[in-house]
Amino acid sequence: MHAEPARPHTLTTFTAALDQLRSTVLMISSLTRRNLQNSIKGLMERDDDWCNNSIADDEEIDLLEMQIDREGIEVMSRFQPVASDLREVISSIKIGANIERIADQAVNIARRARKLNEQPELVELHLLDELILHSMEMFDDAIRAFAERNGDLAKGIKPRDKELDQLNRNLTDTLVNRMQDDSTNLPGYLNLIFISRCLERIGDHSASIAEDVVFAVHAEDIRHLGKTPKE
Amino acid sequence: METLSNEKVTEDMIPQDITQPLPLTDDFVPGESNFIQVQDFKFFYGKKQALHGINLEIPSRKVTAFIGPSGCGKSTLLRNFNRMNELIPGVRHEGDITIHGTSIYDPSVEIIALRRRIGMVFQKSNPFPMSIYENIVYPLRIAGQKNRAVLDETVERCLRSAALWEEVKDRLNESALGLSGGQMQRLCIARAVASRPEILLMDEPCSALDPIATAKVEELIIELKKDFTILIVTHNMQQASRVSELTAFFYLGNLVEFDSTRKIFTNPAKKQTEEYITGRFG
Repeated sequence: MHAEPARPHTLTTFTAALDQLRSTVLMISSLTRRNLQNSIKGLMERDDDWCNNSIADDEEIDLLEMQIDREGIEVMSRFQPVASDLREVISSIKIGANIERIADQAVNIARRARKLNEQPELVELHLLDELILHSMEMFDDAIRAFAERNGDLAKGIKPRDKELDQLNRNLTDTLVNRMQDDSTNLPGYLNLIFISRCLERIGDHSASIAEDVVFAVHAEDIRHLGKTPKE
Repeated sequence: METLSNEKVTEDMIPQDITQPLPLTDDFVPGESNFIQVQDFKFFYGKKQALHGINLEIPSRKVTAFIGPSGCGKSTLLRNFNRMNELIPGVRHEGDITIHGTSIYDPSVEIIALRRRIGMVFQKSNPFPMSIYENIVYPLRIAGQKNRAVLDETVERCLRSAALWEEVKDRLNESALGLSGGQMQRLCIARAVASRPEILLMDEPCSALDPIATAKVEELIIELKKDFTILIVTHNMQQASRVSELTAFFYLGNLVEFDSTRKIFTNPAKKQTEEYITGRFG
């Protein structure tokens, strides 16, 4: 369900402050997507320049994460939002933190890619293709769900994280077997396992973003469902 | 019980009709969920209908906030609980309001007794032009109470429950008009609880107060709910969310939503409620 577009507040500065917060979240997600793409490009095209760009641009993401917190706190202290407005502010702050962690994973991928680029290309590199596609789609959909306030799209993201986890496990098993057969490429295989793990983490953060979107749109907390509390 | 005059007050010295709660029935149950029931209640100022079939069950010993834009009927409903609206010519009602299951419109209910059971605090503090002491004992004096020990005990008890005792105990005989705005409002609350009402109606009690005085009155409201059922009309949304357990949202004379304050301010069920509390209309 898409949330109906809310009519503006009587106090226009309140609407403006919420809009500003929302556009900062969209800005950080757009820059993070660019960084992630640069890291993947650096990995697949074996080009360190793309990797270096991704690592250098991470600083901007860190600043934007802090800006989101500042803007969120300002909205809360100046306008005391309640109900859907309050949920939107809380979710935006949490989404900002998750996006920043996705950007950190993009940096990790770029660093591992630079190490892989020092050695001849491994044929196993393309075993990552499915993981890359799956994790990028999860991230894109999580951000689209936020941008469109689309709670149903967000709800569909969490189950996809399990598929990504399975892809990561399969790839790790395959590479561990290769390591046993071919010890000369051990560092390369290890780097691929690390990158696979980074992509899996991107899926986790995307699922967390989706959970926050569901909370903002439907006021439902879908975290930790199906887990029995410890005695 | 020690009092100002150091005279011991015994139970038999206190006339039951003045200082004890006066429930409409004898089986008063603290914490009952349907303490006050509003049943299909309609109210008219002449031809203009101000309330359209309100149904509401208000539990005892809780703070219930009435919110809504100006003209939504929240103050009209509040003023019906002690039948104050009847002072206005040309008004009439349909439906019923019951307390402990007994209609406030029952012919056997005396309006003076009803108002003693249901205290009221207004937007503007209205201390009488007399001493602090005399303000508090006024409701007892008009009911014929002359026993100095009882009066002293009431003054201390009420000023303590209004969190004003420490501030004024050394100047009880000074004029109440010399108090600050916040102190005057707390004095009026002390006076409202002097006749030991069961219900306290508060109509925008803090709208003329500064933030510190407001915080003191809010603290007092939270303290008083242990003994009283409090209904508060407020335009201050944050105040409703701070002090009340239940919130009723009114719009155009209708009750739109009534739920726990937590639910109303985090995830209201009705779009109109959401739009009002988030500041999108009203």
